[in-house]
Amino acid sequence: MAAVEVHQFAQCITCHAWSADRSMIAFCPNNNEVHIYRLSQDKWEKVHVLQKHDQIVCGVDWSARSNRIVTASHDRNSYVWNQEGSEWVPTLVILRLNRAALCVQWSPKENKFAVGSGAKTVCICYYEQDNNWWVSKLIRKRHDSSVTSVAWHPNNILLATTSTDGKCRVFSTFIKGVDTRDSKAGSVSDSKFGEQIVQLDLSFSWAFGVKWSPSGNTLAYVGHNSMIYFVDDVGPSPLAQNVAFRDLPLRDVLFISEKMVIGVGFDCNPMVFAADERGIWSFIRFLGERKSTLSGSRYSSQFSEAFGKFYGQSKNGASNDSIEPSRSRGGIHENCISCIMSLTESGSSRKTRFSTSGLDGKVVVWDLENQEDLSGYLT
Amino acid sequence: MATSLRLYLTCIRNTLEASLCLQNFPCQEVERHNKPEVEMKTSPELLLNSILICRNEAEKCLIETSINSLRISLKVKQADELENILTKKFLRFLSMRAEAFQVLRRKPVQGYDISFLITNFHCEEMQKRKLIDFIVQFMEVKIMAGHMHMAIPCYLVMVYMLSRLTAPGWEDVII
Repeated sequence: MAAVEVHQFAQCITCHAWSADRSMIAFCPNNNEVHIYRLSQDKWEKVHVLQKHDQIVCGVDWSARSNRIVTASHDRNSYVWNQEGSEWVPTLVILRLNRAALCVQWSPKENKFAVGSGAKTVCICYYEQDNNWWVSKLIRKRHDSSVTSVAWHPNNILLATTSTDGKCRVFSTFIKGVDTRDSKAGSVSDSKFGEQIVQLDLSFSWAFGVKWSPSGNTLAYVGHNSMIYFVDDVGPSPLAQNVAFRDLPLRDVLFISEKMVIGVGFDCNPMVFAADERGIWSFIRFLGERKSTLSGSRYSSQFSEAFGKFYGQSKNGASNDSIEPSRSRGGIHENCISCIMSLTESGSSRKTRFSTSGLDGKVVVWDLENQEDLSGYLT
Repeated sequence: MATSLRLYLTCIRNTLEASLCLQNFPCQEVERHNKPEVEMKTSPELLLNSILICRNEAEKCLIETSINSLRISLKVKQADELENILTKKFLRFLSMRAEAFQVLRRKPVQGYDISFLITNFHCEEMQKRKLIDFIVQFMEVKIMAGHMHMAIPCYLVMVYMLSRLTAPGWEDVII
């Protein structure tokens, strides 16, 4: 079984994030709070509640090296939380948004973070030493609809975004004084802030869940039309692959290695996609076991019972051939999975663990260690 | 049950299963609002193509989907004056108790007899398949009522089911 731990933390979880050593988890239980749990003696205990937002928190990210938490909420605000002693102290970020913030992510160097918003803009925030606050620079007038997801390229400059207008875009976020121009990043570091590198118009429907591969060579995102897109050579002439699958659409993806991607979404069961030696991506299988148990028999019987009461027992059988009740998915998650996070500790060689959280309030930790058929794609 | 009715309901069920992929989504046009997009229709890119499932001219089902909400409307056959009056009276009875049903729309969409409005908040509270089971079952009774001159017993069945729903333990029925 690929799932190694299942935790029922709340009724419903919108997003979650792990501390650097994976001993603490921060998540939003579908309200204006962020709860932090710590593992102590094999038990998860609630240690902090971050209360500052006044609407639902929909994005949370925990920086590994600087140990800061950033949250984004529908109340148009974002806070950076610093741990001082045993307290988490919030710092307001001046986002200058007039609509909800939807997603947030720290840059790899942790000196910037990006916030996608319902105002059709992306905010790139950085710390200003002189004023002691986080200021934001906006990428305006590029998106035709809400920005649903953001992802940082490992070079700390490029930012990929997906939007409900169905497009995936890549921007340069070079900020003078924060980033340094080095030869390593190549031509990318010559671009100005907010310059659009590429616009990918592959999806016919809303796009979600964009991620870069560990090396930054491949970009993956999903469309609401049950498609997943893989883009190589992001630049003037990108190479794209579309993979359609027969199940419900995905919400988020995660690269396990250069050749393997896990997708999660409305099917409540993580899906494995992998590239063969020629670099052709395809759907491999579901990660959780599927038991197609027949459920809902209680409903048809309830109907026939009620019917029988009024129409005589002889008619009782009339509804036994009623339409087939829907099958339970039989997986570990019982509702849409909305968030997937890597559980690889920095510097660790084991890159096989990740966690998912969903609208059923569960956080599930998965391990790909003993999945023989997938081990070839892990390196 | 007639085979064609079964096919019709199975088609509705499968369409609902595919289109009930909703998520929390704040309004893009109005600050600090979060409204069902299928009702507001403020941003056309947030709406999907609506699906019309017809059994015949008098019986059809319209499914409209947006990013955070879904509206399903049903038209049932009314053979004669008596059924017409019964349907009207019964729908009045239901719409006055729309809160108890949560997903029932107070007023049906124009041209239809009954409408349901499902938002992402319903999907967070209830299991999706139970929600679909409930709606299809409701429709089954509703369609049966317009058939075979069984309107009166069928409506009695619905009142019975309703009374169980509105009773204190009614969540148990949906979840």
